[in-house]
Amino acid sequence: MKCGACNVDARMRDETAINLDPIQVGGRLTPEAMKAMISWGDGYSVCDACKKPFRLDYIEQPPLNDFHVDVAEWLGMAQARTVPGARRGFQQVAGTYVEKGDPVLIGALAHYTSYLSVEIQQGIVREIPKTEDNHITAEAAAERIEDVITEFGRPPKLLYIDHVDYQYGNMHDVKGIAKVAHQYDIPVLYNGVYTVGIMPVNGKDLGVDFIIGSGHKSMAAPAPSGILAATEERADEVFRTTQMEGDLTGRRFGIKEVGILGCSLMGAPIVGMLASFPTVKERVNHFDEELANSRIVIDALASIEGTKILSEYPRQHTLTRLDTTGSFDKVAQTHKKRGFFLSSALSKNGITGIIPGATKVWKINTYGMTRKQAEYVADTYLEIAETNGLTIL
Amino acid sequence: MSQRAADAVFQGLFALTDIRSILRITAPQHELDDDQKKKAEKALASVEKQIAILREELL
Repeated sequence: MKCGACNVDARMRDETAINLDPIQVGGRLTPEAMKAMISWGDGYSVCDACKKPFRLDYIEQPPLNDFHVDVAEWLGMAQARTVPGARRGFQQVAGTYVEKGDPVLIGALAHYTSYLSVEIQQGIVREIPKTEDNHITAEAAAERIEDVITEFGRPPKLLYIDHVDYQYGNMHDVKGIAKVAHQYDIPVLYNGVYTVGIMPVNGKDLGVDFIIGSGHKSMAAPAPSGILAATEERADEVFRTTQMEGDLTGRRFGIKEVGILGCSLMGAPIVGMLASFPTVKERVNHFDEELANSRIVIDALASIEGTKILSEYPRQHTLTRLDTTGSFDKVAQTHKKRGFFLSSALSKNGITGIIPGATKVWKINTYGMTRKQAEYVADTYLEIAETNGLTIL
Repeated sequence: MSQRAADAVFQGLFALTDIRSILRITAPQHELDDDQKKKAEKALASVEKQIAILREELL
């Protein structure tokens, strides 16, 4: 089916199947966001009631002003702004503090956009190594800060740490790392793309300077959308307003913010994020139910002989990395569909989101399932394993 | 201007969205429990009502 007269297929992935895609599940829209997008999807729709001083976070209808205040309070931070995706938040913070040749510390499990946000400033990345069990620790951070001081003669300008990384879905000691960093006056950027909107996050408790969240990854919002929140101490720096003046015209630009290039997020992305926010605020309080569903699926997979859970176990997050080289990949060696047998069997049973052909190392995210759906997914994996001669322990 | 017609379009689309969300949480088998059936029934009644309004207003 096409979306009307255009050549775009109607996307019904989540209406017809259970989606396990590691990056998609937390960003699926709430019904409220879907409805808001129906009426606010036009380009500059949120500018209907934009009045002086002409800034996005001052708009009262829809209530974007309240939304910005509420988000900051919810995250235990002083101020918040919307950004077109977490990566733009990284860029805004790096753009504020990092200059050519400045060192920046980044956890070795970080997303590539963390690195690129430093590169665009011509900064230099130094990594905090992961432990054997794939964690970033405060001890490793402390050692690397000392390394940077030795190498550069000064501490890193910033430290980026993912609370939950995208590779393993492991939880890292943000609080301990922030404490170490602050002993050297290094501002800490908390990457919450897998936590903000998924589980409770409080920047004050964690002791971080910036929180970055992703609307489209974890706050049930359309892409590109995200949040950048800062402490009172850092807000004036990262949200600084323009001082620019045209040399011929003398034009000035009011209180537009430099790092964000004025108004950052308009139309469907911000209205979607706004409309989902009450549900998102509430759902983080039920993360234990999400973990329980995750356990049902992961325990079933772990019971298939030869399967290894590469993420920390027991799981603390719904994103999990698995190694099925000793189970499903063995089947793939002789199956007529080769590695595609698994995704094909899942698809036949109404389960989607797994990379077609992947039978060695892959990731799933069970976030947002009902209990019934989690049990169905667990049963389906076991059935596929048994049908293909694998042993259930 | 028919505000009533515009309201009916949005109300109808919103009701259909409620059905869409039921499809999502019951995928892939779409076996609705009693509560979900009640919600679907209510949404369908709303869609039918809005269509009737649109017929009155526009045709």
